[in-house]
Amino acid sequence: MASKSSVAADIPKLSKELCLRLLGDLEKAKRPVIYATKCSLDNAMYNPKVGYLTPGDKKVATELNVSSVKKMSRTIFMLEIILGNLETGAVNTKRELYYISKGYIKHDPKLKPLDFADQNESDDIIDFICEMLEVYREEINCYANDRGGQTYSQQLIVTETMVDGTKATIDLSKLGTSPFQPKNRPQNLKLSARKKIDFCLIVESEGTANTLVANGFTKRNNCILMGAQGVPSNAVRGWSKLIQDQLECPIYFFGDLDAYTMQNIFRTLKAGSAASLIRNEDYSAPEVRFLGVLPDDIKKYDLLDYPVKENDAQEARALKKAGDVLKNDPFFMDKKNKGLADILKWLQVNKRRCEQQSYFTVNPKDPTMPEKIIIDKIKRGHYV
Amino acid sequence: MAAHMASTQKITTSSTAEYFSKNLQQVGFSSHTKAVLTTLKEAVDNALDACEENDILPEIRIEIEKLGAGSMKNAEQIRICVVDNGPGIDPDDVPKVFGEYLASSKFGRGRCTRGQQGIGISAATTWAQLTGGKGALIITKQKGMRKALKARVEVDIKNNKGTMKDKDMIDWDRPNGTSVEFIIDGRIQLNGEAGLMNYLLGTSLVNPHLTLHYKLPDPEIPETTIERVSKDFPKIPEAVEPHPHTMKLGEFIAHSHLFGKVKTSNWLGKGFSRVGPSVIQELIKTAGVKKAIFEKNVDQLDEAEFKSLYTGLQNLPLMAPSTSSVLSIGEESLSKSIQRLGAVDYFSVVTRKPTICDFKPVEVEVAIARLQVKTVEQDTPVQVLRFANRVPLQFDKSACAIYNSLTTVNWKAYGLVQPKESLPQGPYIVAVSVVSPFIKFKNASKETIDSSDELVEEIRRALMQAGQKLSKHIRREDKANELEEKIRHIEQFGPILVEGICRITKANDTRKEKARLGLMKLLGRDAQEAEKDLESASEKLEAHLVKTKKSETVEEVEA
Repeated sequence: MASKSSVAADIPKLSKELCLRLLGDLEKAKRPVIYATKCSLDNAMYNPKVGYLTPGDKKVATELNVSSVKKMSRTIFMLEIILGNLETGAVNTKRELYYISKGYIKHDPKLKPLDFADQNESDDIIDFICEMLEVYREEINCYANDRGGQTYSQQLIVTETMVDGTKATIDLSKLGTSPFQPKNRPQNLKLSARKKIDFCLIVESEGTANTLVANGFTKRNNCILMGAQGVPSNAVRGWSKLIQDQLECPIYFFGDLDAYTMQNIFRTLKAGSAASLIRNEDYSAPEVRFLGVLPDDIKKYDLLDYPVKENDAQEARALKKAGDVLKNDPFFMDKKNKGLADILKWLQVNKRRCEQQSYFTVNPKDPTMPEKIIIDKIKRGHYV
Repeated sequence: MAAHMASTQKITTSSTAEYFSKNLQQVGFSSHTKAVLTTLKEAVDNALDACEENDILPEIRIEIEKLGAGSMKNAEQIRICVVDNGPGIDPDDVPKVFGEYLASSKFGRGRCTRGQQGIGISAATTWAQLTGGKGALIITKQKGMRKALKARVEVDIKNNKGTMKDKDMIDWDRPNGTSVEFIIDGRIQLNGEAGLMNYLLGTSLVNPHLTLHYKLPDPEIPETTIERVSKDFPKIPEAVEPHPHTMKLGEFIAHSHLFGKVKTSNWLGKGFSRVGPSVIQELIKTAGVKKAIFEKNVDQLDEAEFKSLYTGLQNLPLMAPSTSSVLSIGEESLSKSIQRLGAVDYFSVVTRKPTICDFKPVEVEVAIARLQVKTVEQDTPVQVLRFANRVPLQFDKSACAIYNSLTTVNWKAYGLVQPKESLPQGPYIVAVSVVSPFIKFKNASKETIDSSDELVEEIRRALMQAGQKLSKHIRREDKANELEEKIRHIEQFGPILVEGICRITKANDTRKEKARLGLMKLLGRDAQEAEKDLESASEKLEAHLVKTKKSETVEEVEA
């Protein structure tokens, strides 16, 4: 895939070429076909040298016929709206695009048949456009809400290039207890450090990240501390990738020891997801390491763990899915990630889980105990 | 002890009429609404049976009116009058027919008539007498009579005898026929499963040869005539003798009393079906019945001898009884009749071949109609019409063999919606008719057919066949909808797609028009394919209908 920054400018050109092809076919009464990259696990490839999931050769072909004419009409309709946005530099969320489409339909009764019954329908069309043009939504000026990724550091300085070309500099040490919120389009950010940054720690729980900062973690360590807030959003993923590439510091992930965290949160952070095969290049940080909680930690620190409850639907499902993942997910199947696959297997066999907050049980009187364990583990190289 | 009892209590016997007058709830008079329906039903059944027995195409007039408050609490006084064009009743028989229990021309004859025992109409007279103070008012005229007999018949409850009051000979403007009028306490329910409308609808469905006039006490329902759709008389087959396997020992002995002084071998040969000389030989050889018994006159046999004969017969594998005694409405008549149910979209009818269930000949017929006016909600269960010997059954459906069969068929396979173990849903009428000279009812009021496994299976098969026919129609309809949808799609989206593409490519009008024509050509091809699909579905349906028609004709010829 070509470098994203150069492709972004080509979207109007790509779209016009596609439409010209469709028009040519129609003029000849030939059935036009639109090809889109198949974004699913069965088309996901993993090359340990690249480090993230990339799309395979499989394409989804949509041939124009009576059944697909509605989808194609909607695609062209939405594409026109997006091209308008790209021309003027306007940005929107998916929900806003849904309402914008509603607005066009409201003002032009001829478009009524295209009307979306709910946002899911317009979201699907937006995703289809991305897969068709092999671009990601941020490139077509469609942004998600910036969720997660709140970042704390005494060393980090971020320089943002604005749409009008002006620059803004944010010194994170000047923000007090407020975190820095990364944007969905990290390509516009440039990072630098006051002092060499020793590591970046991504904590699964936003609350725990906050606690560590409040207890002086970022004061005592030359580091970047980030809260992931569950499954990493595009903002978190792009931001982590930026830190990895521009600061070249080791990145560690600290989260729960359970199947969901391993296969949904950590895998997405490290190698991207099957649904976003097109954009994993810019939205994954392959260097990130799994610091804990590791199965060994339970014994070593005598952590409080507990069996997976049968009635916890999410956990039970994740554990069941772990079996499929070990067999089908190219990321976990690759020998480079054997250590991570072993953790999944351990979870499958033992059916136990241990939360990140269990570090607080080690010495309840010492609020900095989790920090001590984390630093100790980094020093000893006790991570996967 | 017996001596003690004799000294303190007097043993009395009561008449049949006395028994029934105290237990009218057992024969269909358990509620006010039921009383109206049962009275009407009994009068109509008698009228239809009388016409059919005498090869008269029945024309029946029903009048129901409210006269005011009834004598009982919450009841109204209701007049029910049924007039037929039947042969009329011999004046001497009038008190017996309407005023005497178990006085029947049909009792135990093994024919597919509606009435069987001679209880119903006498019960109606009793009800009128008990609640209205007067018995049934009868007018009857036989062919050749100059005047008609008019009389009030009442039941002499003590003696189970009918009595005639206010006897008069009057002028009546018809050559023959009978009019019966009851004034009873009751309540009128028009709609719903147990409603009068359902009864009238059902009666006209299973009697295609009936012309029915009715006038109901509802200003919104005008006086109505449902014309007959068939002039064919239902051929009521001759009675067959009972099959030994369907009898109990007591019935077996009682059966012998009808014969008196005849040789036992003759009694067995003539009085039962499927018992011939070879069976008698077999009884002697394998069942060890003494040869001398067969030589004796049947009235001289003692209980032990009856028992050895009976058990011998029960243990022999006899042939199943003949199915020639069942009557069917026929698919053709049913197809015509079903159109009288209202505006029917389409329908499917199935007449099964007569078969043996529980050693009794039975024939099952099914008609499914879809109503054109879909006033009912889609999730409302289908309307079920149940019939036993062409009489609508309207109460206590959940225990009925017909209902059990309906809920155990997988209707989803035929394109209908069906919640688990329930009736299918939608604007359909499903009519199931069971005809047999020996229908086993759950009670004397003949509201529910007993659910034996064999009968349920037979009904299920009929329903499934009807379902298969129906699904062919539904599939064809789906194809038609699909075609319509496709054409609509083309008309809607084609121009929008071309306009959009041309705006993005900034194409000129010439290119736009060319692309529009190209697109129409493309999508038109799809529509043509859908049309072909529809045609082939229609052809398949047509071929299926022709095939079933042919096979029916072959069956008829073979029969």
